[in-house]
Amino acid sequence: MTLRDLVLVRLGVAVNLVVGQIVAALLLPVYLDAVGTILIAALVGPRAAIVTGLTSQVLAAVLSGNFSWLPFGIIQVIIAVYAWVAARAGAFRSLYTAIPAGFLLGAIAGGTAAPIAYFVFGGATAGGVTAVTTVLRGIGVPLPVAVGVSSIGTDLLDKSIAFAMVALILRTLPSHLAARFPALAR
Amino acid sequence: MIGYVAGDSPLHRAHPYTPLAWAGALLLVAFAVSTPAAIGSVVLAAVATAAVGRVVPSVMRPALLLALPTWGLLLVLHGVLGPDPRVALGPLSLSQPGLARALVLGGRITAILFAFLTVLATVSPPRLVEAMTARGVPFGRIYLLVSTLTLVPRMRSRAALILEAQQCRGLRLGGSPPARLRALGPLVLPLVLGALAEVDEQVLALDARGVTSGARRTPLAPPPDRAGERALRWVLGLLVVAAYAAKFAGHGL
Repeated sequence: MTLRDLVLVRLGVAVNLVVGQIVAALLLPVYLDAVGTILIAALVGPRAAIVTGLTSQVLAAVLSGNFSWLPFGIIQVIIAVYAWVAARAGAFRSLYTAIPAGFLLGAIAGGTAAPIAYFVFGGATAGGVTAVTTVLRGIGVPLPVAVGVSSIGTDLLDKSIAFAMVALILRTLPSHLAARFPALAR
Repeated sequence: MIGYVAGDSPLHRAHPYTPLAWAGALLLVAFAVSTPAAIGSVVLAAVATAAVGRVVPSVMRPALLLALPTWGLLLVLHGVLGPDPRVALGPLSLSQPGLARALVLGGRITAILFAFLTVLATVSPPRLVEAMTARGVPFGRIYLLVSTLTLVPRMRSRAALILEAQQCRGLRLGGSPPARLRALGPLVLPLVLGALAEVDEQVLALDARGVTSGARRTPLAPPPDRAGERALRWVLGLLVVAAYAAKFAGHGL
């Protein structure tokens, strides 16, 4: 990784952590903790994006003290690789392509997170997701199905918004800045 | 939520890798055991670690703040809504297997929280950097972990400034979820675009400090790594291997 990639990874990690906090302050029912990972995948490539995602997961644990969420680091790797493929395919050129691409990532990421949430945490993860799981269990849905539905449902919304956000960032990037990223697929 | 708490306990004086290895071993063993009694022992070991580091008061509050909501959710999901047979606990009728599962899962998370919060409270970040540098860890990795921690508060204050500026221009933060979602763009876009504009300046600054030279850096005061501590870390590694070997051989606790 070049020095420039390293600085961009640092920026991506900070974006992941800070945007997540802005979203929490706005009381939105999503996390948006992978905007930096998706942005770095589009600007630099998959390797830097994977490092961004994994470092974000570790530093989020350090900053919150909640190290039990480290197993979800694998989701960041999936997001990094998928976002890079989506960027190469031109998914960030408009909101009409970015949102469906994010929706598909939501299904993949949610489908991967659900077994982790079920086997490692018994379905008790983040507040909003677990509230949905509890309601579904209360109406008689089996626990594995309840965890899967709540996890995928949240991720569909979360990743669609994250992809839309990155598409907007790339679209508003001034041309003199965009020219500094040869790998950029706009 | 918790930072380094200055002190002179054995954990404070130890090589930074030793408390980290201990916490890592507790995490792995917590996932290797699956009975309430065994996980209870792991929780006790984690709390004992905090006591050795003399940081129980500092660690207890954040650990409970993080663990109690999870315990509550686990007890509802598994204890109240779990399968039969049921057991009476005061006025409540709880699922017996669900309760056992909730105890294991909740105990696992509590042990991990106590172990790593103790590491955060007893391992001084500058000492950890010195230890990593002495071990020849590439500058890039150290830079990413340590420097990002300083960047996050700066970006947070910049986000607060952008928020105030946009509110002055009429941005409303309340209302329905779609209205709040629309407020996200005017907050996030200037933050990210501003940070991207500074990238080249930071690259030049790092380059001027010889970061790309590839030469091994010399730590000023590397923490001593005694033979006993190195041996302890090896023993911890072997214990973890033994725990998983027993688990997969069907003799796990």
